[in-house]
Amino acid sequence: MTDDMLRAPAEVKYAEELDWLESIDDGPKPFSWRLSPRMVRLFVLGSERSDGLDREISQKWFGDRSFVERSIVTLASDRGLLLIGDPGTGKSWLAELLSAAICRNSTLVVQGTAGTTEDHIKYSWNVSMVIAKGQSRESMIPSPIMTAMERGVIGRFEELTRSTSDVQDALISILSEKYVSIPELDDDNIVFAKPGFSIIATANSRDRGVNDLSSALKRRFNFVRIPVVTSKRSEAEIVRFRTTELLRRHRIDLDLPPTLLDILLQSFADLRAAAASATSDDEKLESALSTAEQIGVLEDAILHSQFFGDRTLRAETLAGSLVGSLARRSPEDLAILNKYWHGVVEPRGKKDGGEWQEFLEGGRKAIATLS
Amino acid sequence: MTPDTFGALRGQLLDAARAFAPTTGTDEAADASDALARILSGMVDDVDRALAEELEIFPVCHHSPASALAMVRRLREKQPKVVYLELCEDLRPLLDELRNCRLPVALQAFASDLDGFPPGAGPLSVVAPITEASAEYQAIAYALDTPGVELVLVDRSTDHVFQWLPDEPAEPARPAPSGGDEDAAERGEEAALHGDAVGIEIGDLRPRFAELEAHLLHHGKVRHWSEWWDQYVEQPLTGADYDTYRQVMVLIGSLFRRLRPSEDERTSRDEERERYMWTRMREHLAASGADPADCLYVCGAYHAASRVEQFGLASDAPYEIGPRTGTRWLYGLIPSSHSAIEAQFGLAPGSVSIAAATWSKAVTRFRDTPFRLDGQKGAAKRAKRALPPPATSAAAPVADRLSGFLSSPPALDGLDEAELLAWCVDIVRLARRNGYLASTADAIAVFETSVLLAGMRNRARPTPYDFQDAAVTCIEKDVVPGRRDVRRLCEILLGGDRIGQVGYEALPPLARDVYDRLEPLGVDLEKRTLQRALLDLTTKPELARCSDLLWILRRLLPEDAVRPVMGERRLGERSVQESWDLAIGRHQRSIIELGYEGVTVEQVLEQRLRRTAWDAKATAAVALGAVEDAILYLGGGRIADELGARAVELLSAERTVDDAPDVLRRIRRLLAYYRAAQPALPEWCEAFVTTGYAHYCTLLPTAFVDEETGVRQVAAMLGFLFSMESLALSLGCDRAQLEIAVLQSHPEAPAKVALLWAARSQLGVLTMAELRERCDALLANPLVVPSFPMYLSGFVQALEPAPALAPFVVELMSKAFARLPDAVLLPWLPKLITTLRDQAGELVPVLVREAGRTFPAALPSLDAFVPPWSARPAGAAAKAGPGPRPGAVRGGGGPAAELLSGHRAACDAVAALLGCDGGWQEIADAGGDPGEAAALLARHPGTADAVAALLHG
Repeated sequence: MTDDMLRAPAEVKYAEELDWLESIDDGPKPFSWRLSPRMVRLFVLGSERSDGLDREISQKWFGDRSFVERSIVTLASDRGLLLIGDPGTGKSWLAELLSAAICRNSTLVVQGTAGTTEDHIKYSWNVSMVIAKGQSRESMIPSPIMTAMERGVIGRFEELTRSTSDVQDALISILSEKYVSIPELDDDNIVFAKPGFSIIATANSRDRGVNDLSSALKRRFNFVRIPVVTSKRSEAEIVRFRTTELLRRHRIDLDLPPTLLDILLQSFADLRAAAASATSDDEKLESALSTAEQIGVLEDAILHSQFFGDRTLRAETLAGSLVGSLARRSPEDLAILNKYWHGVVEPRGKKDGGEWQEFLEGGRKAIATLS
Repeated sequence: MTPDTFGALRGQLLDAARAFAPTTGTDEAADASDALARILSGMVDDVDRALAEELEIFPVCHHSPASALAMVRRLREKQPKVVYLELCEDLRPLLDELRNCRLPVALQAFASDLDGFPPGAGPLSVVAPITEASAEYQAIAYALDTPGVELVLVDRSTDHVFQWLPDEPAEPARPAPSGGDEDAAERGEEAALHGDAVGIEIGDLRPRFAELEAHLLHHGKVRHWSEWWDQYVEQPLTGADYDTYRQVMVLIGSLFRRLRPSEDERTSRDEERERYMWTRMREHLAASGADPADCLYVCGAYHAASRVEQFGLASDAPYEIGPRTGTRWLYGLIPSSHSAIEAQFGLAPGSVSIAAATWSKAVTRFRDTPFRLDGQKGAAKRAKRALPPPATSAAAPVADRLSGFLSSPPALDGLDEAELLAWCVDIVRLARRNGYLASTADAIAVFETSVLLAGMRNRARPTPYDFQDAAVTCIEKDVVPGRRDVRRLCEILLGGDRIGQVGYEALPPLARDVYDRLEPLGVDLEKRTLQRALLDLTTKPELARCSDLLWILRRLLPEDAVRPVMGERRLGERSVQESWDLAIGRHQRSIIELGYEGVTVEQVLEQRLRRTAWDAKATAAVALGAVEDAILYLGGGRIADELGARAVELLSAERTVDDAPDVLRRIRRLLAYYRAAQPALPEWCEAFVTTGYAHYCTLLPTAFVDEETGVRQVAAMLGFLFSMESLALSLGCDRAQLEIAVLQSHPEAPAKVALLWAARSQLGVLTMAELRERCDALLANPLVVPSFPMYLSGFVQALEPAPALAPFVVELMSKAFARLPDAVLLPWLPKLITTLRDQAGELVPVLVREAGRTFPAALPSLDAFVPPWSARPAGAAAKAGPGPRPGAVRGGGGPAAELLSGHRAACDAVAALLGCDGGWQEIADAGGDPGEAAALLARHPGTADAVAALLHG
């Protein structure tokens, strides 16, 4: 089944693993959860030998254990979960994994945008059917959130702070009363949420101030802040994990040399340090330099070497991708990259030689092309 | 104890080692299996060995309530006669002062006079913080307050601490625990209470390499070391009996000892310490003849599992204790705090507070009566009861408690619902007070979440850490409304930071003196809040002494310890009213550390002034600064004279003039002060002026040419020479020296050339007219115009030596503004402003005043304004021409002619257009014939009036 999909949702992709976990799970399960909280944690964070399982469960989300625990516990309680953090920190991925593990359905998603209306959260009408048969439950189109309520599963709301305040506030009654009334209908006009219903919302902390959440809504969510990964080791894990997945998806058979991964991580770490010490926006790259961005750079480099290169990932290609992905503004970003290349990469290339030297050359060439 | 007490356990462990061994059968696999077996059985051997020791070893861990509880129980049961404690032996006298302090405080040893350490290593400082919830405090309190009990500190002296330190003095930094760093700023102050001292702790028990700790944390599913310790050791051991406690602690000590990096410098240092301690104990036992059965050796669990050959009373392995260096150590108590301890030893924020809370809870729960020093500050008064006689039961054979402990899950307490509820309610209240929109619903959510989290983490009841996580989850939203976030609030709730205070009696003489002398202010100096003191020195002249002291403290203490709000002290000035913000309670450590330098603050200040003036890098300006300070704070006198003499010495030895501006400013101030305050100038002042005169005359020609020397420096030299001239000449200097020096000067830089001209004009060699002519020539020469601003800068600086040039500088500046092309003028303007602000702040008023005198004050008069330098003096006009030229407009006065001659450009343009080249004619006397134009105007006055109104309006 996964072969037909460009990107299978977590519950499909890990269906077999989830089945197995469900079969051995003897812990108490809240509401209609398919797995007990501990198994959900195990699914997300992977197993260890000390867990005493017969098979290994891979780690799917990398980050502090307590974030996952706090998220699971929130979903088991009365409140919604709001994952907040910088772009590229894996909020949506965690939300997807949690929904997949808890209710085997991570696709009931509302994407918050400036154009999101209350209909997207509650329900709308099939106009032709309303004309033909009048308003009834059949002619009603329930939103993903309403469907989640009816089924007692997790509904997701991506980029909550992108939608306008009045739309956000439609969630208040859903989260506190746990029902939606349909005043257009005379009978059967209330949809009650079944046990197990909850909402996982994500919000981008860089969007703060665009559409601030009302305090009433804040009160109904527990906030879990996901920080940018700064530990080099876990970042390497994340990049390796996601890239392997991408390679598999693209059916590319290519080796990812660890030294190149080191170069990538090191250059991002350097650029982040530079951004942290910058005094104005002009001295900072526009990119947030998140882990997701690193994965993007690597993916780009891999695809490039696969289709236009000799099917080996080279430092030169990596440098080209890095410059290409990060240089968004000309001349500001290019100037920063130029400074970085000559101030940091060059001495390192001279000192360490090898792939740093190639990386240096590639970057230089890419900067020259773009300038 | 029978030799095979732990036989069963050992067998079991060896079986386990075999079971875990890889089955590949290679040599490496066999080695690994052997190593594991060695470690596991070795650990049991260590426990066996430590327990079999004749001298009872009491293993402790720092800031562990379980250790403290076990200590209380053991001391009550055994009542030893001698307690050996793992603490620097030279800190012993300080322990008696602990009762005068509010804990936590730190024992400090301090040395600034180094002898035997590499120069530049000092000052050396060691702190050993003591909290109430620690096993060592229990031992100290028991030993000091029980008659007939001796407390012996056996660890190496503080001097050895530094002798044994590697070249890089800092301990390897521990990873900063995560979380809670948002309010680092607030915490910073308390956390910095220990300064940059080297910390020592009793019972340091922590994995010796990062991977082991990470492994334990990972598999223990906890976030930081304190949480691991609490969950896996602290809680199970809190209610355990003594044997279990001892065996488990030694086992953990042995585990960390065996799993450590080989060839570790720290390990060899620890082993050295163990040799030291055992040697000291043996010496003491031999000297005092005490029965080892009546003794108790309190040391870190790590040292209890020691394998050094000196271990045990039975050992007679020799060890020679190295001598101390000649460094003079000073000792004192300084206030400490929980957060300072956490920061010093890399513990998670809040962990020491939580340990303190756990301790007090455990004491109530188990109804133990902890020991407390008589008169301990900050503690509830308790009737002291005599200790019941010690338990006389003969030492029962030690049973194996480890097997049980290791094979069964720790027996944890059930959910203490009432406690958790109280926490939930309190945290919501606290959060509301700190700006959070928290409500009862949140309290319920926190309760529920804590229980769920604990369940998920395999704990029967939520620990404070679970509670903290739950509170953060439920209450913390996207922004922190106040100063503290929920994590910090939880820490406050669970005990909060405690900040110790050193009692008056335990303070060094200097600090006591400060407290005594500030008493008339009527301010409570022990409070940690900011205190405002108001001193009205006219109505209460007796407060002048307090004021003096406060000014000295201001000079010696950190910036915000004492801060004047109103009132200042400068040479020759004293305020009649002063108002001060005092934060003495907060800066107790700084005052105590001043106490290491002297007996009174005056003495300390005097020493410091001397030290700065006699420093190898001292300059004349620095010495003059010291003289100023000596006059301001110590009333001048002998010390000021000595420092002044030193300044003369330094000045004559100086080969650069970098400090000339500073020297000039300071000596001027001092001269003004002495002239006003004393009948005659002190000798050193006279010497300074004469030396300075000769010195600067000598250096002047070089300074003028030298590219490195700035204009400001040269200006300051000239300033010195000219403004001190009369005094210098009266003291026997010769003006010819200056004249020759100026003659010898041939600067090339434009600014310096301008300075030289100014100097020559001041000397009378160059007249003002000549000077003006030179400057006009500069302006007229298109090749020099670009560098004119530099000349001008030179003249601005010249105001210092020649203030009389102010009108000329204004003139020059006006000309520059009028005539310099924009391309030259505009880039230079910002530079002029910054130069004026940075270097000639005091000259700006002079310039402004002069400009105010020169330029008209009102707009209307500006039109008719002719700058004084443009209006030719009468004599010059007479020379220029014999009288009105032929054809001059007779009686051509009147507004129209004035207007036209005032704005000639338009007429010139018209004339050029018409081809008229007659030029301008002099206007004849107003008294002459009015002429045709005047007649015309008189006939039609309306137009002229309107124009006049327009122009003047």
